[in-house]
Amino acid sequence: MISDRITSNLRRTFRESLLPKIGMVLLVSIVLMAVFAPLLATHDPTRTGYYDEGGNAYPPIGTEYTTQIAVDGEIQEVEVTADSAHVLGTNNVGQDVYSRFVYGARISLLVGFSATLMAMLVGVPIGLIAGYYGGRVDDALMRVADTMLAFPALVLALALIGVFGESPVYVPDPIVSLGLADGMPESIPIPGTVTIVAALVIWVWFARVARGEALSLRNEEYVKAAKSFGTTDRDVLIGHVLPNSVTPIIVLATIQVAVIILLEASLAYLGFSGTTLSWGYEIERGQDILRTRPWVSTLPGIGIVLTVIAVNLLGDWFRDALDPNLDEGQRGA
Amino acid sequence: MSIAKFLVRRTLQAVFVVWGVVTIMFGLRAVSPGDPATLMLGEGATAETIARVRAQEGLDEPIYVQYLDYVQGLLIGDFGYSWRSNREVEAMVIERIPATLELAIAATVVALVIAIPLGVVSATRRNEPADYGATLFSLLGISTPNFWLGLMLILLFGVWLGIFPTGRRPVGLVEAIWTLVAFGSAGDLLTWLQHITLPALTLGTYFTALITRLTRSGMVDELGKPYVTATRAKGLPAVLVRYKHVLRNTMIPILTVLGLQMGTLMGGAVITETVFNWPGLGLRLIDALDARDWPLMQGIIVFIAVAFVTINVFVDALYSSLDPRVNDE
Amino acid sequence: MSQGSGFDLRRRDVLKATGVAGVSMAGLAGCLGEEAPDELTITLSQFPDTIDPLDHITGDYFDVLDHIYEPLFDFEPGDGIFPRVVEETEILGGGVTELQLRDDVVFHNGDDMTAEDVAWTINRTVDNDIGVASDIGAFGLGSITGAEAMDDTTVEISYSGAPGLAEFEFGNYARAMNRDWSIENHDADQEGESISGADPEDFNGTGPYEVVEFTSGEEVVLERFDDYWGEEPPFERVVFNSDGESSGRVSSLETGETDVTINILPEDVNTVQNADNVEIRRVTSFRNIFLPMKNTVEPFDSQEFRQAMNYAVDNAGIVDSVLSGFGEARGQPVAPGINGFNSDIEPYEQDIGMAESLVEDSGYGGIEIELTVPQGRYLNDAAVGETAADQIDQLDNVNCEANIVDFGVVSDANSAGVDPDVIEIPFYMIGWGTITGDTDYGVQGFFSQDAETRSFDDEELSDAIAESQSIEDPDERRAQLEEVNRIAHEKAPFVFLHTQESIYGVREDIQWDPREDETVYVWGMNQ
Repeated sequence: MISDRITSNLRRTFRESLLPKIGMVLLVSIVLMAVFAPLLATHDPTRTGYYDEGGNAYPPIGTEYTTQIAVDGEIQEVEVTADSAHVLGTNNVGQDVYSRFVYGARISLLVGFSATLMAMLVGVPIGLIAGYYGGRVDDALMRVADTMLAFPALVLALALIGVFGESPVYVPDPIVSLGLADGMPESIPIPGTVTIVAALVIWVWFARVARGEALSLRNEEYVKAAKSFGTTDRDVLIGHVLPNSVTPIIVLATIQVAVIILLEASLAYLGFSGTTLSWGYEIERGQDILRTRPWVSTLPGIGIVLTVIAVNLLGDWFRDALDPNLDEGQRGA
Repeated sequence: MSIAKFLVRRTLQAVFVVWGVVTIMFGLRAVSPGDPATLMLGEGATAETIARVRAQEGLDEPIYVQYLDYVQGLLIGDFGYSWRSNREVEAMVIERIPATLELAIAATVVALVIAIPLGVVSATRRNEPADYGATLFSLLGISTPNFWLGLMLILLFGVWLGIFPTGRRPVGLVEAIWTLVAFGSAGDLLTWLQHITLPALTLGTYFTALITRLTRSGMVDELGKPYVTATRAKGLPAVLVRYKHVLRNTMIPILTVLGLQMGTLMGGAVITETVFNWPGLGLRLIDALDARDWPLMQGIIVFIAVAFVTINVFVDALYSSLDPRVNDE
Repeated sequence: MSQGSGFDLRRRDVLKATGVAGVSMAGLAGCLGEEAPDELTITLSQFPDTIDPLDHITGDYFDVLDHIYEPLFDFEPGDGIFPRVVEETEILGGGVTELQLRDDVVFHNGDDMTAEDVAWTINRTVDNDIGVASDIGAFGLGSITGAEAMDDTTVEISYSGAPGLAEFEFGNYARAMNRDWSIENHDADQEGESISGADPEDFNGTGPYEVVEFTSGEEVVLERFDDYWGEEPPFERVVFNSDGESSGRVSSLETGETDVTINILPEDVNTVQNADNVEIRRVTSFRNIFLPMKNTVEPFDSQEFRQAMNYAVDNAGIVDSVLSGFGEARGQPVAPGINGFNSDIEPYEQDIGMAESLVEDSGYGGIEIELTVPQGRYLNDAAVGETAADQIDQLDNVNCEANIVDFGVVSDANSAGVDPDVIEIPFYMIGWGTITGDTDYGVQGFFSQDAETRSFDDEELSDAIAESQSIEDPDERRAQLEEVNRIAHEKAPFVFLHTQESIYGVREDIQWDPREDETVYVWGMNQ
């Protein structure tokens, strides 16, 4: 499975280059932030109404802005100053931007990892079987794969959401239920359809890679030998073909996590994810108030960029160390 | 396998794929909630009218009859009528193609013009500051969601600097060129350029980054190959070696990826058009989704699929003429 | 529809070219990006996706189409209706009113307008068997049953309700289409057929402006109609386009690409105020924003619970914060200035203690509910809904989540009726512009048990509305409508939120006061 050669390759590449280190530090920080969100957040991220006395959102600490409000029918210009309780300010409904930033990491990572896992669980077996048996099964799979790839991922996602609705899934928060974080939401909504759709969109890539591996392995001597000793196809697939496919699949999975995080953000931005606690939605929310309150859109965008960079850096690292043959074409979505 | 035979086979596969897309879209529509006649007629229609329209539109027919009717229509270029505006879907698709095409081409031009030199410089000056810069840029480029990038560009160039307009397409390229040629007035062309700059940058950044990476890694591979060392030994100027042979060999994987990435380009166009209110197919698709105008939605998606597979057949053809070793799969 | 559009494109370009040559300097200046003096550009937030003047009921659509298909009457918000294409009206009794039309009105294609055209248009609006099922017919001309031409200039309109109500309805929603033209070119008498197309020739009204260029879904260019019967409108050319983003509309205004733009968000007021030569104009609109609660399903069948929701939400606070003060809190279904508005009724004031104890009284303590909120339809709608849901959620004994969806979902929920087996979304946010200026239009569709689309099923409220419809005396009727509003406040069929302000950005030198009914009429402007 993961041989000594691979681990030593991974170690060597990690030592030699700065980029994997940056990626590792970034991703670990973001994962920690997501896991301990209820402890790190200063306010309930869904609580509205943190405004100054004039009903204006707070700017981030160290900044101020002017805006115009109507008081008894007259337009007045007001100066709004920061509040030390809200480090990164508040948004247009008076929610704490920092707390939402922290919680946003949860949604991005949860959707990114769970959709990739689902796609892997569906795509890899199908690909292995198709590649191993070849013939009609294989032809059928390739045609299905081509068809799936002919839909731009975003367009397919939009069509499916149009049919199935958004269906948010409320996931209980273990930290809050243990009573460790008072006043934080007991559950957070994960965009259900978006997760399924993301998996549907990318499983084909896994199927293709697994198929390629199976195709090249089935004529290997040791596989033929195993078969001649009466090993069943199932055992050959699980015992020999699958372990050999692990590395390219890991590399692919890393890239796809990045792709999914971007897809989730896009769908949330377009308003099709059904949840508002998401970096993508936060950017949409800030679009209308870009001129006066640019921090609302800016910060969650930085969150997405950093997360995707972290995942991409690790992906590059895996690829360099494990499988230099995968190309950028796998970055499809 | 000869190129002609290969192309025939590839085309047949493409037809199959388009059929798949058509069928999936039809299936999605069939299982989607909401009675089509009600959606079609809008609020306030009586049950009586709905029943009559159902009969009239063939909605009471068995599902396979409806399916055959739909496919038959598509074959003669009849995509049906938009439920919302009652116009022919094909006309509504066609009139939006120029805007999307302009955007896609502008983005691709931006990408190629920036990325290839950047990739070449990066590959030939490995581990120098230029290479680090290019690597960082391309990393940022593939990691930035384009809607956010669009907003940041609007904030920077539109709001703070006030250099570029932040939305709309007051004039098309063809019209702008026509004004230039017929009246010698460059005003329209200038307007067009101003308006397309930010959307093209937004859509193009991801591809710029991707192609930079591809060019760099492809060049690095090629430069290490024996023929390059051999040519160098013969004394040909290094520059010539770099550009002519190496770049040509590097272009093949780039082309393939570009073909495969047409889907991403279309997805990106949907987002970019939304951010900049650019009246292309993507914006129309979002409008159709909002209005749950299924015939229009289906029509646009089927059109995109056809465009996608056609482009890929062309890419394959190009690929096979560039690289004689081409094989199927 | 069947002519090649390629030909039209070329023809349009030639028109444009000759325009440049003919108008010379002015036209050239337009090309070079400077504003030609006699041209006005209006940027809407949504471009009409249908060109049938009856197949919509949306403000932005009226803004465009009313200049082409003019209203038969001039409606002044709060003041009632005044003669326009119709010179005189006479109530004949027995549910019939007679309209006297001008005899000098012509359509843009040159045909004379006759009483036949007007009667046919009204019938097409209210009768689903003719043409497309009209949204205006469903919501605007609710009590009108039909029309008949008596001679060339006389039309008799029949209705089922009170004459006053009928007058409000046809006074706002009656238009004139050219019958023969519509049938010949667009099969507009066939069931389900709407006027459609992508060419200037696909428009044919009697309004002061005719269409000269049309890019479907993007832009329409109007020019003064030379044979218009009435006063010459103020601008030679009027261009309508759209931009879905408030900030984009403001940018266009700043750079001089547009002269008038609608639906400016409070956030962008600052920018317009600081820009040169443009300014903010605003007015409190007739549009009420509220959260209907369908009382045929739990927990909304309890009046205590519904009132509790009203006490939970701080609607005055929402106006101050989310709307930056650009609105007014409300406690009844209609806005001030509407016939029947009850000035004795104050909005519910936020009172968490009262809300929690009312929830306990209702027996629904500990319940979980979901508020469905549209996005991009009303002033900061998603933000308003999210805030309201969170305020309800802050009650100790209610959990409430906001679900933000596309407007279509909410619109369907709103017209789904009160059958508990069908209701999927019992609690949602919607806005209603009582643009007829009469309470009836704001309550009939929501509360009357005759209305299939009602959101609230209550005999007392429904009977009170029915009674108002049969009263002929205007003062008595107004008193009854005030009573309807009082009952509605008490029974709390909605969480009453606010009326929003319409905020416009306008070139300073254009004299124009925005209207409470959200329409933008070029003929109401002056340079």
